[in-house]
Amino acid sequence: MGWAKYHEDNISRYWRDAKTKVRMERMTEAPPFKKPSSNNDLGKIRLLRRRLAENPSDLQAQQAFHAEKARLEKLGVSPNELLGIIHGDAPSTPATASDNDIAQGRKKVLKDFTIATARPLPVIVLADVSGSMSANGKIDALNDAIQSMIESFATEDHSRAEIHVAVIVFGKGDARLHQSLLPATEINWERVGAAGNTPMGAAFDLVVKMVEDHEQIPSRAYRPTVVLVSDGQPTDEWREPLRRLLASDRASKASRFALGIGDDADPAMLAEFLADPSARVYSAHEARQIKNFFRWVTMSVTQRTRSMNPNSVVVIDPTALDDYDF
Amino acid sequence: MTSNECMARCSHVDYFGASVSGPAHRALRKPNEDQWLGVSGTFGTLIVVSDGLGSRCRARHGARKACIATLRAVRAWHKDGNGSCDDLVDRIEPLWFEEIAPFDRSDCAATCLLALAHRDGRTFVAALGDGMAAVRTHGAIERVEHLRASGFSNETQSLGNGGDWAKRCFERAEVDIAVLASDGVSDDIRPDRLADFIDWLKEEVATLRPMNRWHSLRRELNEWPTPRHLDDKTIAVLTWPIGRTS
Repeated sequence: MGWAKYHEDNISRYWRDAKTKVRMERMTEAPPFKKPSSNNDLGKIRLLRRRLAENPSDLQAQQAFHAEKARLEKLGVSPNELLGIIHGDAPSTPATASDNDIAQGRKKVLKDFTIATARPLPVIVLADVSGSMSANGKIDALNDAIQSMIESFATEDHSRAEIHVAVIVFGKGDARLHQSLLPATEINWERVGAAGNTPMGAAFDLVVKMVEDHEQIPSRAYRPTVVLVSDGQPTDEWREPLRRLLASDRASKASRFALGIGDDADPAMLAEFLADPSARVYSAHEARQIKNFFRWVTMSVTQRTRSMNPNSVVVIDPTALDDYDF
Repeated sequence: MTSNECMARCSHVDYFGASVSGPAHRALRKPNEDQWLGVSGTFGTLIVVSDGLGSRCRARHGARKACIATLRAVRAWHKDGNGSCDDLVDRIEPLWFEEIAPFDRSDCAATCLLALAHRDGRTFVAALGDGMAAVRTHGAIERVEHLRASGFSNETQSLGNGGDWAKRCFERAEVDIAVLASDGVSDDIRPDRLADFIDWLKEEVATLRPMNRWHSLRRELNEWPTPRHLDDKTIAVLTWPIGRTS
């Protein structure tokens, strides 16, 4: 047995065609003598036993099991050893964990070692909840838009990733984590009120801390999306925290969206947050435009999760929205 | 352990592996961009796993050539008198450049993981990029790879980008199994169950007859239990017979 046993694998096929020295070496080397071991012989019947334990009506497994049993009997495998496996009786050899599993009809399966959840795609919203957001129904529109976005993510059927959402709010004197990072399906959105100033720098620090934390966002996660929504100038030191965000290993790789609300928003600062000349800062002057922005973000994220590579940035044209008027 | 015992131990090293396309490539009718190679020769027994970077147009070619370049490097290294692990990995990238010609290195970028059970009893394990290179030594699992400290899924170092190899040389008779896996596998293995996963490979899969083993492993990879998984999946294993580890 050499390459032929892996004939469907690409490299093997390549080398077989190339008739290289590899194959020659394998052919000229005397195959190592292998004493038939009971362990080797019993491997297949153990697997079949496991398949039958999981699905007793599997006819193919039943036939294979009986054929294997007959073959082993012919080879002279100890009847006690064989019976121990077939009937789950105490084996003649000293018991091991796997033998006990067999006896209980439960063997280790790959499912026991793998992560049972899809790879996460984190979406982190940085929401301005300063006092000025309470004017003209902006905070209500923001709450509705975030709730609607979370509901859309939770009901997304074609996603190739599990969308997780976190919301960091800044206002009322400090930035805080209003909604911790959880799968959208597990979130029950609690509405947030507006008060205080605009400590955006503290929010940048929080997002860096979250994205750099491998416990919260493991390395198997897809690249996160960070959405910044603000209606005014930051009231704390924000340049250094933003520099830290843009210089950090992981947070700098996030796809970023920015929305300025009203005339007091600072588009230049929001453009610095995007740090991409081709990216656009969107502005909203009415409450419904906030909802439109979040619809656009939702579409962009869901398109990413539906794509074959959810790490790729999918740019959705906002004009694709029916009532687009940013 | 005498040198004769080392040679005898080395001659009993077995290898196996399997590779399957992930759902993403199957849906697009694209071929598997993971490749693996297993070969025994005068140098000992070698397994290589390479994962072509999905965003590159000749990723499959790059991965295949990574396996071939590694084999050529091992042969040349063995012929020149078995230097250090550094010497071995330094030979791989120039040979890979030769192999991928006339295509551009950036179009062919691929990771490279290798495990070599050398004739003299030592085991060399090296890794460039994502995936898992793990060995069990005296019952403890050791991973030979750089932690993906800064990246996310599908972001990795590769051949052609001057990456930093993680490498280890294990002295005689320390290792009883070495496992290489592409990131499609390693990212979905629970870190707290890695030892059990390696036990499973050693006790449940390695003990099967070669063809059954290959079919069994392919079936497991094709029926990968993690929901909504996408990547190609490859596992290659070097295994020493039970009772021959000391």
